Amino acid sequence: MITVEALTKRYGSTTAVDGLTFTARPGTVTGFLGPNGAGKSTTMRVVVGLERPTAGTATVAGRRYADLHAPLHEVGVMLDARSVHPGRTAYKHLVSMAQTHGIGKARVREVIAQTGLEPAAHRRAGTFSLGMGQRLGIAGALLGDPATLILDEPVNGLDPDGVLWVRRLVRELAAEGRTVLLSSHLMHELALCADRVVIIGRGRLLADASVQEIVDRSQGAGTVRVRTTDPEPLARELLAAGAQVVRQEGGVLRVRAASVEEVGTAARRCGVTVLELGSESGSLEEAYLELTGEALEYRAADVQGGAR
Amino acid sequence: MTTVRAAPARTGVSAARVLRAEWTKLTSLPSNAWLALGTVVAAAGTAYGLGLFVQPGDGRSGSWVVTSGFVLAQVGFLVLGVLVGAGEHTTGTARTTFATVPRRLPVLGAQVVVTAVAALLTALAALGVSVLATAPARAGDAPALDLSVPGAARALLGFALASVAVAVLGTGLGALLRRPAEALVSGVLLLVVGEHVLAMNPGRVTDTLRAFLPSSGARLVQDDAALAALDAATLGPRLGTWGGGVVVAAWVLVVLAAAAYRLVRHDVR
Repeated sequence: MITVEALTKRYGSTTAVDGLTFTARPGTVTGFLGPNGAGKSTTMRVVVGLERPTAGTATVAGRRYADLHAPLHEVGVMLDARSVHPGRTAYKHLVSMAQTHGIGKARVREVIAQTGLEPAAHRRAGTFSLGMGQRLGIAGALLGDPATLILDEPVNGLDPDGVLWVRRLVRELAAEGRTVLLSSHLMHELALCADRVVIIGRGRLLADASVQEIVDRSQGAGTVRVRTTDPEPLARELLAAGAQVVRQEGGVLRVRAASVEEVGTAARRCGVTVLELGSESGSLEEAYLELTGEALEYRAADVQGGAR
Repeated sequence: MTTVRAAPARTGVSAARVLRAEWTKLTSLPSNAWLALGTVVAAAGTAYGLGLFVQPGDGRSGSWVVTSGFVLAQVGFLVLGVLVGAGEHTTGTARTTFATVPRRLPVLGAQVVVTAVAALLTALAALGVSVLATAPARAGDAPALDLSVPGAARALLGFALASVAVAVLGTGLGALLRRPAEALVSGVLLLVVGEHVLAMNPGRVTDTLRAFLPSSGARLVQDDAALAALDAATLGPRLGTWGGGVVVAAWVLVVLAAAAYRLVRHDVR
């Protein structure tokens, strides 16, 4: 169980994490989602005690990570594939980690086998591809057979086989009753393996719900997608009528709080030629884009600003 | 996945375990072995070269010829220490290391110990090879290695002590500054450049400053006669037999304390 409460982390005047609260529960894969730079990695580094929070707390199984007597046995951590000395072999890297906790070499060979690293175990980590580095990071996380796993972008750089392997692995780990916190900036990746999703943008919590709830939220609002030759006047017209408009590439507008009929009528009123028009059943990807779009100061803000 | 459950008995972090891990980390980098070899070659090569130019009337002793390689070899010991202290932070290994040992200080302590042991072994090897390498010089005009000369045996021991001190100072600088280049430059300034720049302008102030630089640790490799000559020439404080060792030890402690403070108080990236 990972509990993050009102966590804030500032670097000088930059706020990387801003009052973040969420919980990752046992037996569950919790997806930690946000655009690059949203504060995912910072949050994870604070949870494992590498960085000190400016305010708030982060605990694992009710205790601060720094107070754990045997961290490897409680929390498996993979933060970055480049957390290894490039001159050291994968085997020696894992042995040096294991020795801090008195874990035997048999267990090191076990996790090497489990992560498919055998052919590369005695090669220097500096020669590894990103995918091999990820496998080495995951091997290190599994070393102490921990009840909690924190994996930062574990599928980054993996080949399709590797991606499938990680998905299956995290599902199995959760099925064994472990807590798995898994970050990604790709929604579809998490949709396939996470039970719950915590979405952050600019260090703030945007959503904390089950995958299904987030899809429903998108569908419930009923988005209308319209493609026109000239989206600008139509956007203004719709905003004036009280709809919410998100502008996308290729002259596409996504409209909320307006029906297909209302959008079509509005297009005629401002003399815009409609190329496509239809209502959309939401998807996780879209829900994510909507949520993070605001945090990214998406172009829609400019459209709305112009209409006021 | 049944293999995951078949885990060994659960044991926690202890100082002895962290020490074993740091020894594995030190010895698993081939570059460290090359560095030790290079340091031995530098020490013995310098001693061999300088030995050829020693004349009977120079006032140099047999131990001076053997330990004269320290002037160059100390850079090797400094680099070894700096790489242990700063390597963590530049390669990203620090994230793994300090997530595994979140109390952090046992890691710094273990790094100091493994650096000291590696430096001691390297220094003893350098000393042995230097004795062999200076045999041709002794067959010529250089004085014999006579351990009954006052302070000669202590000078040989001092070579090992001064080497360990320089290496551990490097570990402290590396852990404090977290970048090998900065740590190395600081170390060379403190150990080599400062001494030489100040020695160009002898005077009460410059000689006093010189006495309190960690380069005073090099006095450990001198026998009694050479130390007496140094003390007679200085306008600053006379450090006597062990004063140089005390000065470098104080530097080591202060730098390590600063490194420990930074390690505990600051974030690890």
